[in-house]
Amino acid sequence: MRIEAIGCEPLQLRRVHLENSRSIDVYRRNGGYEALKKVLDGMSPDDVINEVKKSALRGRGGAGFPTGMKWSFVPKDSPKPKYVVCNADESEPGTFKDRYLMERDPHMLLEGMLIAAYALNAKTNYIYTRGEYRYLIDIMDVALEEARAAGLLGNNILGSNFSCEIYTHTGAGAYICGEETALLSSLEGLRGHPRMKPPFPAVSGLYACPTVVNNVETLTAVPDIIKMGGEAYQKLGTEKSGGTKLWSVSGHVNQPGVYELPMGYDDMEKFIMEDCGGILGGKQLKAVIPGGSSVYIMRADQIIGKDVRMDYEGLVAAGSSVGSGGFIVMDETVDVFESTKNLTEFYKHESCGWCTPCREGTDWLVKVFKRIDNGGGRPEDAQLMLDLCDNIEGKSFCPLGDAAAWPIQSAIKRFPEDFKKRLATDNTDGHGPDRSP
Amino acid sequence: MATELAKVTINGKLFEVPKGARLIDVCREKGFDIPSFCYYADLALQASCRMCLVRIEKMPKLQTSCTITVTDGMVVTTQSEEIEKAQRGMTEFLLANHPLDCPVCDRGGECELQEMTFDWGGLEERFTEQKNYYAERYLSPMVANDPQRCILCKRCTRVCDEWMGEEAIEAGGRGSHTVIGTYLGWLDCSQCGNCIEVCPTGTLLDATYRHQTRPWELAQNISTCNYCSDGCQMSIGSRAGEVRRVVARDRYVNGINGEFLCVKGRFGHPFINHEDRIRTPMIRYKKGGKLIPATWDEAIRHVATRLDEIAEQHGRDAIGVVGSPRLTNESLYVLRRFATELVGTNNYTTTDLHSLQSFFEHLGAPLATHRDIRYAKTIVLIGGDPSELQPLTGKQIRQAVRNGGAQLVLVNSVPIRLREQTALFVHVNPGTEEAVLLALADPANDSLAADKAGVDAQQLAAARQMIKATDGDVVVMFDAALSADAQVVAAQLATVFGGEGRRLLLHPLPLFNNSVGAHDMGLMDRHLSPYQMLDMAGDTIRAMYVAGSFLPEHLEQGSDGLAKLDFLVVQELFENATTAAADVVLPAASYAEVDGTFTNNSGLVQRVRQAIPPLHQSKADWMIVDQLAQELGLDFGYQLSPSAVFRDIAKNVAAYSGMTYPALKDESKPVQARYAAGAAGADSTAALRSRVEALAGNGEKITVTPDVGEELFRLGMLTEKVPQFRLLASGNPRPETTAVSPLYQITVTREQANGHG
Repeated sequence: MRIEAIGCEPLQLRRVHLENSRSIDVYRRNGGYEALKKVLDGMSPDDVINEVKKSALRGRGGAGFPTGMKWSFVPKDSPKPKYVVCNADESEPGTFKDRYLMERDPHMLLEGMLIAAYALNAKTNYIYTRGEYRYLIDIMDVALEEARAAGLLGNNILGSNFSCEIYTHTGAGAYICGEETALLSSLEGLRGHPRMKPPFPAVSGLYACPTVVNNVETLTAVPDIIKMGGEAYQKLGTEKSGGTKLWSVSGHVNQPGVYELPMGYDDMEKFIMEDCGGILGGKQLKAVIPGGSSVYIMRADQIIGKDVRMDYEGLVAAGSSVGSGGFIVMDETVDVFESTKNLTEFYKHESCGWCTPCREGTDWLVKVFKRIDNGGGRPEDAQLMLDLCDNIEGKSFCPLGDAAAWPIQSAIKRFPEDFKKRLATDNTDGHGPDRSP
Repeated sequence: MATELAKVTINGKLFEVPKGARLIDVCREKGFDIPSFCYYADLALQASCRMCLVRIEKMPKLQTSCTITVTDGMVVTTQSEEIEKAQRGMTEFLLANHPLDCPVCDRGGECELQEMTFDWGGLEERFTEQKNYYAERYLSPMVANDPQRCILCKRCTRVCDEWMGEEAIEAGGRGSHTVIGTYLGWLDCSQCGNCIEVCPTGTLLDATYRHQTRPWELAQNISTCNYCSDGCQMSIGSRAGEVRRVVARDRYVNGINGEFLCVKGRFGHPFINHEDRIRTPMIRYKKGGKLIPATWDEAIRHVATRLDEIAEQHGRDAIGVVGSPRLTNESLYVLRRFATELVGTNNYTTTDLHSLQSFFEHLGAPLATHRDIRYAKTIVLIGGDPSELQPLTGKQIRQAVRNGGAQLVLVNSVPIRLREQTALFVHVNPGTEEAVLLALADPANDSLAADKAGVDAQQLAAARQMIKATDGDVVVMFDAALSADAQVVAAQLATVFGGEGRRLLLHPLPLFNNSVGAHDMGLMDRHLSPYQMLDMAGDTIRAMYVAGSFLPEHLEQGSDGLAKLDFLVVQELFENATTAAADVVLPAASYAEVDGTFTNNSGLVQRVRQAIPPLHQSKADWMIVDQLAQELGLDFGYQLSPSAVFRDIAKNVAAYSGMTYPALKDESKPVQARYAAGAAGADSTAALRSRVEALAGNGEKITVTPDVGEELFRLGMLTEKVPQFRLLASGNPRPETTAVSPLYQITVTREQANGHG
């Protein structure tokens, strides 16, 4: 397990290797809460939002929406209370960066949230953590107590007239609650179902009040943006996506771990083969899912020798996307049919059941996968699965329907051989094996 | 108020529609059909079935037309290859786990999923895998459930929440294993069955109708409910002279209630074909003897002879005539003509518990329809508990508040369930609602009212302020149990609160389906209460002619007059305490067996239609009276035609003038009686003030909200014939297994059920 910054000075990972890194003392000795002080000492909320806008920071949860713009959507003249909610649900398969940030540097998240709360005039804020991260709640609660004791939380923070509270909250372990509106439903104590957009949370979110929901890594980037200035932060990355990005690398590499790369890191091949130590056991690279399970799977030949730039535009050009940065590497031993079946079972299990295509589509797809796996594959199944995916994609209530369809579509299109060999059965009448009891 | 228009292009055609209109409604109105399951008028948007997808220019994906409001310049496509594929895809998904057991499904033939599949689905079934399985079960004596058939449109959970405020059913589980269910496995609610009504598939089923017939074998007759005064329109499904079910499904009926019915309206019908119905006329030849079956001719002759004798001996006023507020206007009208013209007595009345005579005599504002209530801006509810006694009114109030943003001012001694919806709850001492009414009418009475009602005088001022600040309709509802003096004040409230841009409407809350009609037909104009009638019985009144029965309350609290009568004739469906004292019992036909009209608490005159022929030898109440009149030598000239009776009503009852059966034909356009504006008293509040001054006003406040069903499940003469109601009345016990109908597992006798209630 390697946790390291490559190609840039560590920002997010600056303190994670230090002893006692989660304590407020270590945090403060290493530049912690300086950004908050700077903000309270003379920046207006608009100044903060402007810096974030200039930084070209994009949401690190997966959708990549420009953070500064999201913040500026909050209506300033609304008489309602405003909320900042940290999305620490980190439920995207293959993603584990937020967990390390919270585990090893919880105060960085608190500082980021406090600055966001200041910028948005939010008095009450929540950290929503997935049910499986129970132990992180304890770490965050200790950090909150430390911050409170140090006058960084509560009334008149650092002697200013800014007052603010942060609470932790845990979900019950549902993928859907990582979707921001479902997260808000869950936070309100309702069933974790997504809500209709518009209205967007920035206008009507938690308790129908203006709310900003940001990923952990997005919020932890904020202190550095304030300290170095938005422009300097942007310059670390590319014009449209500034700063650095954490990649959670797992799978068949010699050195899996959390890597901090500047946006626009120049070559994915180099990243896999050198930075991550190459493929485990010297085998051949077969596939990469670069941005968490919901993005298009990439073939090795889309990476090797193609100079794939690791940022939003670069990965889209290469046929996938950044997503949450859950970087899953697969070697030649992997049967993409199997891995896709595994993922589809996940999506079926986690479909919240609200809308028809996602609920019924994923259930049906799993049934087809299982039938094929049991030797009942039919030649027309690949087309059937693609068609089912097409009926889900773009038609579901929330983006998770698309997320379920994309891995399957890309797997069938990019690894047809892994599917074909399962579909060519001895049953040539095209109706699969005899299903009579 | 001019609405701003927006230009919208749908499938290449340009339309001008109100800005902000919902796209799916606009498309449907303009003739472009769009399928949908979860979109349901007046329920919260859901956008989950994904059937109503359309393409809108400049939007990246297909959009659900139920969530889109029309903006100027919008260009919409509702039909294209892409959209058709999406619609076929969604239908295919919905059918994937839906069992194709239509031939044994009660909903088969009137199932929206079937229709939608025929209209929008694909031809080929590609799903060849195993379907998810869940066992059938019962959720209550009224509701059966087959979870497999569910397509999760969640109309049921939304009506349960938004219409009924009960939240008794909710989705459990996740993903494709989501199942609609109850808390603790048994449906603890008012059992309205609206979840069944709105279910587009056979997931929630009428447990009383299970596997009885196919829907297309039913004769469906639109009629008016015979329980409370709301007058819901419903469809009576009968087969071979037997009523099998009652629904309000709007493809057949489009009345004031839409698809709403309450537990009584929907499940309270089995009394109609009950074996205890009185089958023939019966005569008790001597007091204390038995009732002996007789022919109609014998019975009518016997009654005519005895009435003649008594009139001769004691005078015409010695004969009392009493009608039930459950009878049709036709029956009550003929009964009153019988009393005044033939018998010539002054002693006639109804067996209603409360009279609205004083209210109507001083009526100073229009009556609110249920639609008016739904769109009212302020609702003042004085006494009563509509959720239990007038459930449609209760639902309209709830929706007005929840979906329409209305303010509810609740004046009650009991924190009834509607309290959850109140903007202002004036919690008065028991029996002092009238004090608040007095204060509403005249602020000079604030301190008196506040003292008697045990409330803060500021609350009274706040209530008046809320009414006066209203821009829109104000509906004042009041319990018909209010005193005559209070009714006069309520009737005149418009003089206090009417104003620019504000309309004050009144909505009385009587108890019976035709309480208002009984007033209109003039049966209450003598201001005689049933108790006074019973007091006179055996004294100045020697014989009584009763169409219907005295209520148990009358007989328990009133004097034992019936036993002292020389002669008592009763027209009834069932034998009861009144028929036990009768000398002649005549079998009457139920509302399902007759034609006529009921007038509801909004003054809407609505049709009652014959669904099945009269059972056994029973006859419509008015026909019995008509036959007796002929025997006594007067022919009303109706020739057994209810429409002839109604024409006569329209001629002689001013509020009904011009009405005919054809004019009342369409239940979607109900006709309101035109009541004359009543005279205001010189000081209408003076009488009420002295009443309020006399109130004790020191009772202890009631803090307990009554259970759901407190009134709804109370057994009456009709509901006690329905075994399911006995289960409800005895606390709706959960049976050992939910796989079998509770009716086969639990037997509750009438006595047990009464004992519990």
